[in-house]
Amino acid sequence: MDSTRGRWSGFIIWTGLTIVTLLPIYWMVLVSLRRRVDLFGNPSLIPDRIFWGNYAEVLADDRFQRFMINSLIVATSNAVLVCTLGLLGAYAMSRFKLTGKNNIFFWTLTNRMAPPAAFLIAYFLLFTVVFRVGDVTMLDTRIGLILVYCVFNLPFALWLLQGIIDGIPKELDEAAMVDGASLWQVLWTVILPLAKPGLAVTAILTWVFAWNEYLLAATLTRTEARTITTFLAEFVTVTGTNWGAMAAAATMTLLPAVIFLALVQRHIVAGLTFGAVKE
Amino acid sequence: MVSVALRSVSKVWDETVALKALDLDVHEGEFLVLLGPSGCGKSTTMRIIAGLESATSGQVLLDGQDVTNQPPRDRNVAMVFQNYALYPHMTVEENIGYPLRIAGVRKPDRAAHIRKAAERVDLLDLLRRRPKQLSGGQRQRVALARALVRDPSVFLLDEPLSNLDAKLRVAMRAEIKHLQRQLGVTTIYVTHDQIEAMTLADRVVVMNKGEMQQIGTPDDIYDDAENLFVAGFIGSPPMNFIEGAVEAGTFASDGVRVQGAPGHDGSVTLGFRAEDARLADGTGMIAGHVFDVEPTGDATLIVVQIGSNRATFRADKRTRPTIGDPIAFDVPPGEVRYFDTATGQRIRA
Repeated sequence: MDSTRGRWSGFIIWTGLTIVTLLPIYWMVLVSLRRRVDLFGNPSLIPDRIFWGNYAEVLADDRFQRFMINSLIVATSNAVLVCTLGLLGAYAMSRFKLTGKNNIFFWTLTNRMAPPAAFLIAYFLLFTVVFRVGDVTMLDTRIGLILVYCVFNLPFALWLLQGIIDGIPKELDEAAMVDGASLWQVLWTVILPLAKPGLAVTAILTWVFAWNEYLLAATLTRTEARTITTFLAEFVTVTGTNWGAMAAAATMTLLPAVIFLALVQRHIVAGLTFGAVKE
Repeated sequence: MVSVALRSVSKVWDETVALKALDLDVHEGEFLVLLGPSGCGKSTTMRIIAGLESATSGQVLLDGQDVTNQPPRDRNVAMVFQNYALYPHMTVEENIGYPLRIAGVRKPDRAAHIRKAAERVDLLDLLRRRPKQLSGGQRQRVALARALVRDPSVFLLDEPLSNLDAKLRVAMRAEIKHLQRQLGVTTIYVTHDQIEAMTLADRVVVMNKGEMQQIGTPDDIYDDAENLFVAGFIGSPPMNFIEGAVEAGTFASDGVRVQGAPGHDGSVTLGFRAEDARLADGTGMIAGHVFDVEPTGDATLIVVQIGSNRATFRADKRTRPTIGDPIAFDVPPGEVRYFDTATGQRIRA
């Protein structure tokens, strides 16, 4: 009796939470499939007719494609760079005796303690004035954005990956070294495969951070390196908001993130190190 | 086959001295066991030989060549770790083949070596499994096969059996010994288990507090201990000690009088093994009261209170004295050992 009740209450709670999570997304899709005139009528959860015009309008805009590609490049490069540097840094922090190791960790983490907006002016000046060679600056470049996102994501990656690498028994490194492996071979053949779940989590979170980030992208880019989030904001104008097109663009923006998540998620396998050493 | 030599090897961690100027020669093809309590420096010694730890001072020589500053990969030593250290993301086959893969041996060439090593430790049926699908004993075999696969010049085994249950330990012990004899590879084996040391070793090194206490054959170590530590560490039950004094060639303590003690007068500890004592009728060399009786199946261990000392005697399995009764024993003079109480060193005739 109790277990039946427990199952039902669990079912109700999870259904409720799922609806709360998915309803805004469903609503967004719904809006993207409606004509402007239908939007301001009686709200309904079921569309009576489907209108693809909003998607056509967004897809026809060449800026959408360009910014989408920018976003993909920035987010993916950021994820790759953060995972690579994070793995190397976390391995060093986990395995080597480094002077001031704890201070390094705290120092990198402080980057996450203030809101990114606090660094906005500093970054703008760095990008326009300090990092300037002749006419070349970091402003409005993809590499600039990638590096800034790295600054924000690396502390998190270090923190997460160090925990993962600490969990990989040091004996495995030693066994590999005695078996003839160099440090790089240890990293590549032993640590990397075992840290895969942590790397997958890091990749997902850093990728999504860069994909969704608006503030820094809006400030540090102009025309060339603009990302898709800044494009979404353009549907809000002084003369009104183009809700249908905005929802269509947002729905299409969601897709790469869902695909990326689906691809990476299967690497999150817990308990992979089980059986390595006798506890 | 390769000889291993340590020349004045020391290791200091921060303020703690883990090894004090250790000199050690391991002969080609020898099975040497490093034995001692935890923290005695035996594992550190092995890790220095493997190159996993650097010596604070001194030299490590493999076949006369100084390898002190060489990384593990350049030493061609193989090591079996206490907790197996198998790569969990690889199958048994990949685990065994790992040293060959790292050495750049091509995949088709690896297979034959892997099969040969797996065959030696009876693992052929399990090649496709992953470590987590194996029992403790099977994992230990994988670790052994991985060490065997590339014909190492030195075999290092760091308490390889301590995580196995008692029955399996005895079986694996015999296998390791058999394997070593077959291959003839110089082997250094670390353990805190004296039975393992006695049964496996050509020679045993007893260590304590970073220092070598004695090196010798298992018989030497058991019968001819150099000091109180070795005498007390080896044997089950360990050697009995009775503290007393020697005066004019006679050792005396509460309930004990033994004539023919060597050395000068002074504080002396008398030692003898439980199995060397014989139950005496009436008065004996050692007299006391029965404190406890411990039947072990094949014999009876009688714990006797002798003044302020306590000693264990091994008697026939049918002997069952009553607790509290007076009891006396004799020990043949040749089986009695004398140690200087202050220094712990053996006093020889």
